Amino acid sequence: MEEDLKTSVRGEILSVKDLPTLPHVLDEVTKLVEDPDASSEAIAKVISTDQVLSAKVLKMVNSPIYGFPGRISSIQHALVLLGFNVIRGIIISTSVFDMMEQAMKGLWEHSLGCATACNIIARRAGFEDPEEYAVAGLLHDLGKVVTAVQLPDLHKTITDTVKAKELTYFQAEKDVMGFGHDRINAWLARHWGLPPNIREAMSRHHAPQLAEFYKPMSCVVHIGDFLVRLFEFGNSGDDQTAYLRPEALIELKFKMSDLDKVMDEMADQFLEVSDLTF
Amino acid sequence: MSQTLEYSLFQRKQIAFLLSPDKAFAEMLQKLWSPDVIEFKVFEHGGGAIEHLFNEPPDLLVVDNRLSDISGKEIANLVKSENVYRQLPVVMCVDPVDVEEPWNWNKIEVDDFLVRPFNPSEVRDRINLTLCRAMRALDANPLSKLPGNTSIIQRIQQLIDGKEDFALAYCDLDYFKSYNDKYGFSRGDEILMMSARLIVNTIRSYQGVMSFVGHVGGDDFVFILPPDKVEDACQRIITAFDDIVPHFYDPDDRARGNITSVDREGNTKVFPLMAISIAVVVNTEARIEHYGEVSSIAMGLKKKAKEDPESCYVIDRRKA
Repeated sequence: MEEDLKTSVRGEILSVKDLPTLPHVLDEVTKLVEDPDASSEAIAKVISTDQVLSAKVLKMVNSPIYGFPGRISSIQHALVLLGFNVIRGIIISTSVFDMMEQAMKGLWEHSLGCATACNIIARRAGFEDPEEYAVAGLLHDLGKVVTAVQLPDLHKTITDTVKAKELTYFQAEKDVMGFGHDRINAWLARHWGLPPNIREAMSRHHAPQLAEFYKPMSCVVHIGDFLVRLFEFGNSGDDQTAYLRPEALIELKFKMSDLDKVMDEMADQFLEVSDLTF
Repeated sequence: MSQTLEYSLFQRKQIAFLLSPDKAFAEMLQKLWSPDVIEFKVFEHGGGAIEHLFNEPPDLLVVDNRLSDISGKEIANLVKSENVYRQLPVVMCVDPVDVEEPWNWNKIEVDDFLVRPFNPSEVRDRINLTLCRAMRALDANPLSKLPGNTSIIQRIQQLIDGKEDFALAYCDLDYFKSYNDKYGFSRGDEILMMSARLIVNTIRSYQGVMSFVGHVGGDDFVFILPPDKVEDACQRIITAFDDIVPHFYDPDDRARGNITSVDREGNTKVFPLMAISIAVVVNTEARIEHYGEVSSIAMGLKKKAKEDPESCYVIDRRKA
């Protein structure tokens, strides 16, 4: 019975065609692609604030058609390699949420907040390419978006369960389906050919200690997710406090004082980010 | 109807063979183009044509299924089964009764077919299209699908003949061979695809100007831009390449900043990460008269650019 549910959910999730996004970012990026003087850096910056557009761009550039599958995990690189026409095509063919806009705003803010946090944490830990950690943070709840779009009834049952049983969204998913969005992320990331580091961080952000090949990235996203919930920036589907795995801090050699520094910087950046009213 | 070559779709006169006993059809084809554009050599029997076909392959072969001595299908397969003749476009002519049953186009590898009764304008355009398509397909680089040598030379000569100012850049990758040796050719191809994409998108972002990108082969690419844009393009290509290429190495090699591989003499050697070298020849005031001059200047510059192990560009601005 449970296996049947998993198979049917997986089928629905992977058959997602037109993943919509929120109008705010789409409007802004549409203006940019119609402006002949807009730089690819400016376009990359806006796309990097939107999990759906970022996912679409990375899916495209990592598809076998372009000849270097699974190699690109930076939005800026993706833009250089896809080129203006292809980006424009992606933007034109993206629609906006017509029903769930309000419900999705919280999740968008949470994801952008997590991306911001991951960038800060990765720099603090001294990792190269912090923007790739930001991408992993941005996409860490993509499975929730796809579930809401493809399986609205199931999604409603999960959110109802969150309220009725006072669970986290992740616990409610397990209660209702027997598995969580980390599993859904893993399906999507593999199906879309996303690079292995992003893929592992997306599917291991709730259990970074189990990450096999890219443990540091999984740990960064785990901490980022935790901190952004602590800040109550955006909403990832519940109001429960999250659990921080000590292994993640050990992996990054972080002390509590490092977390303090990260949080100070997050507070500053969230002031800027909150100008982006979704 | 009788256009001159200059206003035709082709760069040079096309020679076509028609293998058909149908005299009216031969007459029709010969009237559709001026003999300066497409010259049709007509053979009423297939047998006699084959030797000519192999000795002096034409630009187009039109085969009639009404041939009495040898079937049209057999001729088509004879041509298409030999790798050196494969690229010759073949158009098959049939009667309606021939195509009542579906044909296996995997076994009869022709490029197009025409069904009687022939409509002259359709025949004209189908054959024009077949020739244009064959030219595109023939010259495209099989990996990147960018235009290859024939198109590159043609484009440069056109610019020289038109006395236009242009800058021609030759790009090649340093230490590509050692990457290929270490990681294998399929990962080498990833690098070539990435480089092609990067160069094309950078060049295309200069809108409303004359531009061109070609793939000479292997890790050699060519692009053309107006002289005032070329330096900016070189800088942007180098920045993007240096930024992206480390991601195509395994994490430990990338962290070390070099790879250990075996060189041409069989010695184990340490090689730096790949870089891109660009040699640019600027032609202003029509100082260059022939394609050959461009490439010989470029080869000299390339040597200079290659001396630097890091990505760099060298621009030749000598006056006439």
